[in-house]
Amino acid sequence: MQDLWQIQYSYLIPLLPLLGACIAGFFGARWLKGQSHWPIWIGVGASAVISISLLFSMLGLWKVAGHEKGASAGHAAAQRSVAAEAASEEPPLAYNKIFFHWITAGDPSGTNSSKFFNADAGFLFDPLTAVMLCVVTGIGFVITVFSAGYMKGEEGYFRFFAYLGLFIFAMTCLVMGNNLVMLYLGWEGVGLCSYLLIGYYYEKPSAREAAKKAFLVNRVGDFNFGLGIMLSFLAFGTITFFSGTPQHTGLLEVAQAPLTAFQQHALRWIPFLLMFGAFGKSAQFPLHVWLPDAMEGPTPVSALIHAATMVTAGVYMIARCGTLFVGNAAAMNTIAAIGCFTALMAGTIALRQFDLKKVFAYSTVSQLGFMFVAVGCLAPVAGVFHLVTHAFFKALLFLSCGVVMHAMAGELDMRKFSGLKRVLPKTRILMLIGCAALAGFPLITSGFYSKDEIVAAAWEKSRFLAALMLFAAFLTAYYSFRLYFRVFEGPEILPSPPENAHGPGHGHGQADGHDAESAHATGHHHNHEPWIMIGPLVVLAIGAIFAGFLNFPERARSLGGFLGQSPSFAQSFNVATRPNVANGRVIPPLPFGQIAAQEELELADKDFATSQHSLHRMLMIVSGLISLLGIYFAYLMHLKDRTAAERLANDFPAVTSALEHKYWIDEIYQNGIVEPLRALGRGFFAMDRIVVDGIVWLISFVPQASGFALKLTTQRGYLQGYAVTMLFGIAVILLVVFL
Amino acid sequence: MTQLALQHYLAVGAILFAIGLIGFMTRRNLIVMFLCTELMFQGVAINLIAFGRFWGNLAGQAFVIFVLVIAAAEASLALGLVVLLFRQRNTLDADAWRDLKG
Repeated sequence: MQDLWQIQYSYLIPLLPLLGACIAGFFGARWLKGQSHWPIWIGVGASAVISISLLFSMLGLWKVAGHEKGASAGHAAAQRSVAAEAASEEPPLAYNKIFFHWITAGDPSGTNSSKFFNADAGFLFDPLTAVMLCVVTGIGFVITVFSAGYMKGEEGYFRFFAYLGLFIFAMTCLVMGNNLVMLYLGWEGVGLCSYLLIGYYYEKPSAREAAKKAFLVNRVGDFNFGLGIMLSFLAFGTITFFSGTPQHTGLLEVAQAPLTAFQQHALRWIPFLLMFGAFGKSAQFPLHVWLPDAMEGPTPVSALIHAATMVTAGVYMIARCGTLFVGNAAAMNTIAAIGCFTALMAGTIALRQFDLKKVFAYSTVSQLGFMFVAVGCLAPVAGVFHLVTHAFFKALLFLSCGVVMHAMAGELDMRKFSGLKRVLPKTRILMLIGCAALAGFPLITSGFYSKDEIVAAAWEKSRFLAALMLFAAFLTAYYSFRLYFRVFEGPEILPSPPENAHGPGHGHGQADGHDAESAHATGHHHNHEPWIMIGPLVVLAIGAIFAGFLNFPERARSLGGFLGQSPSFAQSFNVATRPNVANGRVIPPLPFGQIAAQEELELADKDFATSQHSLHRMLMIVSGLISLLGIYFAYLMHLKDRTAAERLANDFPAVTSALEHKYWIDEIYQNGIVEPLRALGRGFFAMDRIVVDGIVWLISFVPQASGFALKLTTQRGYLQGYAVTMLFGIAVILLVVFL
Repeated sequence: MTQLALQHYLAVGAILFAIGLIGFMTRRNLIVMFLCTELMFQGVAINLIAFGRFWGNLAGQAFVIFVLVIAAAEASLALGLVVLLFRQRNTLDADAWRDLKG
């Protein structure tokens, strides 16, 4: 495994985008100008090539390992009970590549009195990392290509691309890091890039506010994440995920060894702390408020950072640290409950949003909720699978939104236009694919397969949870097709060109606004769909359709089986099936990607396995029907009779108002947290002004007053007076010295 | 006639110093005040010479010559300043410069 050239040169994966970002950032303003995308294209493209070839090399190694295992199956049959254990005991597809010791402190001999802290600049290569890397760099590259078309002529073009390169650098560090501190480095790096890119149109006050909001809300989560890292070190003495040595000293390995009382106690709290960090980054319920506002950034940023990659970092982190989580039933239930609640809440809010990007923002929050339900229901494979498919179709939807926005001169309110299928024929088909995938249109879209797996995992946990998830899936289908029918079908309405279309804050270039206007004026059909923007969308659309087959159910060689080779998944399965954790519930190994163990299970309990399969098939039919039902409702309310939705909304004014105000959560935070804190700040300011400044003034008053007194009494300007004073002083000194 | 002892020299020096000090503190005329400071100088110089002779080393006398040279230079400078001050206010009274106290 370590012989792979991709691993030998893996430092290039983060460094090439960083180099590109430096070139674009330092030389863009003066020399590169409108060509600033080249260093980023080359850097991110090269990273993507390395990542994808790494994935294929690892798949190749996995196949070889599988054949060897198959050859020895005859022997294994005799010792079937230990086969699964052996398979998970030596994860063949993981390698720790350490470049240098980054931060070290304490005594390396490892005596008990002083702990040894070591954070390496190192990467962990396992199937999870390889898959995430391909998503990040692959989709990242596609989006940088699109951005060159979308951002053309914008002020600060080079700045945009420099930030994008920096983002890819940080995100690759996040998914490759072999310890929690490297992960945290990337985590904060992507947070910074998110802040910078949300505030890209910094002349616009709302963009500045949104950037600040995103940064501050993320601080709440990141603070807890930091505490979680510290507690992990305190309890286990290491923050490296996976040691790769027979001593099993990695963080993910010690959690399954016999634990001390303190470690057991720490394990009760670590998941909650880490989880809070994940909720902040992945915009889950208490901390979801920043993501819809983050749509102030340019649309490619919304696609890359706030839909496809960065916001899924929380899911990645929980999947990566699975062994710390799965033993803690309370934490897993909390994750599932919060994920389900967020999915429903965001899904309902999306019903009454009219801004295209806001609809998809809430949809992203909702879909992230689905992923959290998956990891909370002990099905990390389903979570990561949905992460991958979601990355494709949500990036596709956001970029399609960008095309619409481009053509409509920055207008995003779906009430102001309709029936764009003549103006944007290619975008219409791409958006239809994206919406179908998001809605989980049965059998031919990726969203169907990934969402279905999550529902199945929820069903394993609780029937009620599965019902709620099915309802959330219904909402998803409804709002995505509501948007599609409103925007692309029906009578053609084009927005009147806004007068201030040339303003920098509209999220589109000056030239584009001009194009749209001239197209209106002459009635001449202008090409709103340049290939530099449509090409990337086609790639994403292909992914949105076919990514679902990566994990086709009941196929041994699937994404799930590959991910199961990751030490994170294999070992969290081991922890989850410990008797004291399982509570009598059988934990199916498939959600952890344990194919070998699945065969075990089938042999051990054929009835159980077959009943599971038929159950899975039934759930597939149900969720497919629910998706179709949602689409049909959207058709009834938004295409057949467009006034039906408004009538329904008017019948329930309270519900409508709650949805349009996003359940007043922003207002609650404003009045419950922001305003009290501001009042407290004002109090402190007054305190500083009156008490602290008062004391300082008083201290400065003492010499002033005494100086004034001396001026009146002693310093009168009589030379003789001074002489007398001097004499007196000398006399005193002499008296003191000699007596 | 008895030999002059160290005490006599020291007494003369002390008297000269005291006369200078009292003169400095009681007179307001700039030139007189300046002369008084010179008197104090000489009182100290006599002290130095007396001690030098008493201990039989030349350092004291050499030092006094040094002091006298400095005093001469300083006297020329000071008298020049007095002339300038007189030209400003047409008086030699030190109290004319009270407003310099700030």
